[in-house]
Amino acid sequence: MIINNITFFSLVKREVARFSKVAIQTIFAPLISTGLYLIIFSYSFQNREVAGYGIPYIDFIVPGLIMMSLIQNSFANTSSSLIGAKYNGIIIDFLLAPFSYIELTLGFMIGGMVRGLVVGSVTYLVATFFYGGAVAHPLLAVFFAILVSSIFSLFGIVAGLWAEKFDHVSIFSNFFITPLTFLSGVFYSVKGLPGIWSEVSLFNPVFYMVDAVRFAFVGQSDITPAFSALIIGSLAVILLLVVTYLFKIGYKVKS
Amino acid sequence: MATAIKVRDINKSYGNLQALSDINLDIKKGEFFGLLGPNGAGKSTLIGIIGGLVHKDSGEVSVLGRDIIKNYRETKKSLGIVPQEITFDPYFTVRETLEMHSGYFGIKDNTDKINELLEALSLTDKAEIGPRQLSGGMKRRLLIAKALVHDPEIIVLDEPTAGVDVELRNSLWEYVINLNNEGKTIILTTHYLEEAEALCDRIAIMDQGKIVKVDSKENLINSIDKKIIKIKFADPAHGLEEDLVEIDYELKDNQRQIEIETARRDLDKILKKINALNLEIIDIDIESAKLEDVFIKLTNLGGGDN
Repeated sequence: MIINNITFFSLVKREVARFSKVAIQTIFAPLISTGLYLIIFSYSFQNREVAGYGIPYIDFIVPGLIMMSLIQNSFANTSSSLIGAKYNGIIIDFLLAPFSYIELTLGFMIGGMVRGLVVGSVTYLVATFFYGGAVAHPLLAVFFAILVSSIFSLFGIVAGLWAEKFDHVSIFSNFFITPLTFLSGVFYSVKGLPGIWSEVSLFNPVFYMVDAVRFAFVGQSDITPAFSALIIGSLAVILLLVVTYLFKIGYKVKS
Repeated sequence: MATAIKVRDINKSYGNLQALSDINLDIKKGEFFGLLGPNGAGKSTLIGIIGGLVHKDSGEVSVLGRDIIKNYRETKKSLGIVPQEITFDPYFTVRETLEMHSGYFGIKDNTDKINELLEALSLTDKAEIGPRQLSGGMKRRLLIAKALVHDPEIIVLDEPTAGVDVELRNSLWEYVINLNNEGKTIILTTHYLEEAEALCDRIAIMDQGKIVKVDSKENLINSIDKKIIKIKFADPAHGLEEDLVEIDYELKDNQRQIEIETARRDLDKILKKINALNLEIIDIDIESAKLEDVFIKLTNLGGGDN
């Protein structure tokens, strides 16, 4: 049996309880920065429309900001949980207990997804005060949000396993997540970028995530959402396999 | 007696360091087994392999007849390992930690067992506080409770009393002896040889990644032919050099006490010579070898006999 329900859900419960116990830091603090973006952009560009989209700028950036919160928090949850477990020495609890590799992968992943989705949902609720709250394809938005949160939860697991100290996790955050997110079209349309830059953006996987969710929100996107779904889905499957393999070999946790 | 843990041809190296070489070991079900050795002997590495914390390079380990890799779910449920390092999850209270661990081992409602452990390890009044507020000894007791929460058949205690005060140590051993009397297999590594001597039925002595000897405690101690005779005289003893020729002795307490280290076969000869001294004897003690003597003889601490 690959998954034992009680064992598996105990890990999920632990991961959710861990961030819930420090909700001020894990749920509410991220809302402050997103709230500030919303305030600044809604007042600075209140009369501006995005070229090629014909919608107010605030409507354009809300899906991107929700994605940004979701990405950062899914990643932060798994990466900090694992580096914390290594730092406190309790990583051995997960090795001594009868977890299968897939249980460890999915257990940590779902914990990160829950935090990402909670912060993303609260961000959406806050954003409704700024743009009205319309979502063109709600189910598609939920579908992409789940997929994207799984990707960054898994990416956080890789970072948490690889990291030997907390600083190492911030390397991932500062040098990969933040630049890739900011350059993914959260704040602008990639179609409108000059010269080669719009093609370069196609190599940024976060672009497909933001673009797909924008389609779900406003019904328009830079590229076809089906292609984005293919890219995002493939990435999720690859990362799922990679993380399961890392747990199997005990990457940086078993000597 | 059935085998609790069977270790066959285990090798493990870290780069150029051979941490374990061809380890073979059988630990019987229900026994109190000691794993002794100096620092770096490979005890924790061996326990790590059994528990799934360390990869082995080659060899096989089975727990209650099941391979630890192929049947990891069952073997891990049979093992309760108390690690050497004190670790704790700062997010959860003592009770939450134990509930979570019960869940990890597939137990949904484990309140009775948790209460029993809290009581037995004197943690009941600390159940609702976080581990940061616990003293070092309490944290170690929490580690023990964590290892026992799923009621394992085999309990491995890796240096469980390091840095623990005497009172706690005694109550801990009382609890572990009860578990052993209930039929649980206990495996103990410790630096305190007197603990191993007092508790263990059989002992394996490890040194430099090898098992140099496995035997019952009595056989190990009897393997050292050493007797220390301590005799107290009423008056100081003088001029013994001529009477006790060829005997290795030491005078103490203003020459009122003599200590003689000898072999079993010379006991009669020495006691007759002492008797012939015509000194009034007020006390006699004869000590046998201790586990420590065996330990020193078999490990590199004693210059090596291995």
